[in-house]
Amino acid sequence: MTKYEKGALAAVAAMVVAAGFIFLYAPTDALQGPVQRIFYIHVSSAIAAYGCFALVLIGGIAYLWKENVAADRLARAAALVGLVFTTITLVMGMIWAKPTWGTYWTWDARLTSTLVLWIIYAGYLMVRRLADPGRQAARFAAVVGIFGFIDVPVVHFSVTWWRTQHPGPVVINDALPPQMLVAFFVTMACTLFLAAVMIAIRYRIELLMDQAAEKVVPAAIAAPNEAGGVR
Amino acid sequence: MSVIVAASLTQRFGSEVGLDGVDLDVDAGEHLAVLGDNGAGKTTLLRILATAARPTSGRIEIFGLNATIERRRLRGVIGFVAHAPGLYPALSAAENLEFYCTLQGVDRGRVAEVLELVGLAELAHRPADKLSRGAQQRLAIGRAVLHDPKLLVLDEPDASLDSGGADLLARVMRGRTAVIATHDHALANRLCQRSLMLRRGRVVGVPTRLRVVH
Amino acid sequence: MRSEWRTRELVPALAQFVVLALVIANFGFQIDSRNAPAIAPGVLWMALVFAGLVAFGRAFAAEREQSSLEAMLMTPASPAAIFAGKALAAALLLVLCEAVLLPALALFFSVPLSLEVVSAVLLATVGMAVLGCLFAAMVARVRARELLLPLLTLPLWIPFIVFGGQAVQVAMGGGGGAGNASGLLIDLDILFVVLTSLVARFVLDD
Repeated sequence: MTKYEKGALAAVAAMVVAAGFIFLYAPTDALQGPVQRIFYIHVSSAIAAYGCFALVLIGGIAYLWKENVAADRLARAAALVGLVFTTITLVMGMIWAKPTWGTYWTWDARLTSTLVLWIIYAGYLMVRRLADPGRQAARFAAVVGIFGFIDVPVVHFSVTWWRTQHPGPVVINDALPPQMLVAFFVTMACTLFLAAVMIAIRYRIELLMDQAAEKVVPAAIAAPNEAGGVR
Repeated sequence: MSVIVAASLTQRFGSEVGLDGVDLDVDAGEHLAVLGDNGAGKTTLLRILATAARPTSGRIEIFGLNATIERRRLRGVIGFVAHAPGLYPALSAAENLEFYCTLQGVDRGRVAEVLELVGLAELAHRPADKLSRGAQQRLAIGRAVLHDPKLLVLDEPDASLDSGGADLLARVMRGRTAVIATHDHALANRLCQRSLMLRRGRVVGVPTRLRVVH
Repeated sequence: MRSEWRTRELVPALAQFVVLALVIANFGFQIDSRNAPAIAPGVLWMALVFAGLVAFGRAFAAEREQSSLEAMLMTPASPAAIFAGKALAAALLLVLCEAVLLPALALFFSVPLSLEVVSAVLLATVGMAVLGCLFAAMVARVRARELLLPLLTLPLWIPFIVFGGQAVQVAMGGGGGAGNASGLLIDLDILFVVLTSLVARFVLDD
């Protein structure tokens, strides 16, 4: 078994452990009922998503500064994984919101900035795909990553600020009893581990794709020469 | 003294290859013609020589400086006539040149000189989009020599030049090192001492000496 | 080395038509003299955002624009300076849109047009122009640019719309607390102007 397969297995095992903690160890929330259990994955995903985004930022800056292709690859991998986790966060959030608040969505600071995060990730990946592959794609994507990273807290702040001007519905209550806290930290650790494994696997895929792209070309050029000879 | 020394220039666009291991060198005062069909890689090569683009791999030195790093410095001594003129349509010919004088840090008096040189003195105040394609090309050439560059890189300048174009090119290239991409072998013969042929991104054969016929 | 905006003669005509069309189209909202101050800011920013996106998209997309940009890069001028010139032109474009939009708004919706309203809008314009310019320049070289430009630019414009919207609303006599919206706009402007000038050369040059 390669190290990637081992890593994947370990990550899955970790998530099973986390699930155990969520469903068996943590008590049911008095107010919200069983739905509240979504919260563990929801917040863990959010943290994983932001963590990935930080990697995208660092990779992007490193690339712009040093033209380090490995840094760009890391950013690419982290962006894809981050998008996945952001999607999970949003979906879980919506599933949780309906029974709890009565609505799927509300424009508070956290949801808005998470949505913005999703849009920026999507933009990042689109720019990568649509720009000239190679240096241009990497450069443009790095710029998007940098601006996006700064934009998310700015948006968060602006919505919070706006809410102080226009007081609206109440936000999430964060107080947690100790057992829930334990379950949460376990889940978070497992989710971060899962994210790390996913990034590592994706990085490897990107590396293989880069290498393949470099090999394809010389072969195509060499062939006609052998057939036609020098003119 | 070598003005351009390039080794193993390779340019890749994703999985497509524009240039594959091109070597070339150009001496001071020399005029080199780059020949080849469309898609052979002439524009790609010329853009690299003019520092408009960086090669994916390979080395290139211009005036002894590493051309992938010292680009801004080099741009002050290189004149580039690209495939597309890139002029400001709403501005007149003279205004276009004046604008570039500011960008190049060159005195505005040059504008009149250059207009005279390219034969646009009478059309100086006409908006660029009202100029014929040939006149626009002359303007683009004029713009490229505004700052009296030591190296001139011309990408198919003859494509839309009107009559007398060859003379203009000869005038403009005189006294400078020049690399010119063209389809026109006769023109290459007339203007250049050596030629290089590209096919599918590779140099074909050996750079040949041309007979210079005046 | 920063002169460039005379060449923007062509595009304002386009922008004016766009803005007018939008203002007229906004009769879809149910507006009377009571809720006008509350809704007008929203209409203002929406119209401005759309006009901005269209204007930026057009201004940079032209093939001609791309080749003239490259010609400018082929000089010793720094890419940051070239970008500054373009951003100034972009800002001017937006200001022109506003010059049409604001009076039209005041006219149609009977909302007061004070100095505060104008200054709030102008402050936001700086940041929006700089960001729009950067991403328009980026997107011009890329496929599917009509889709990509709003996708990239709007998330970054949101804080400007929030603060600007609030400032305008207060100035027009609508609800909401005072807050220091203008100060925040200035902070945002400084932040993004610095950032974009640092990053401009990666977007413009190879």
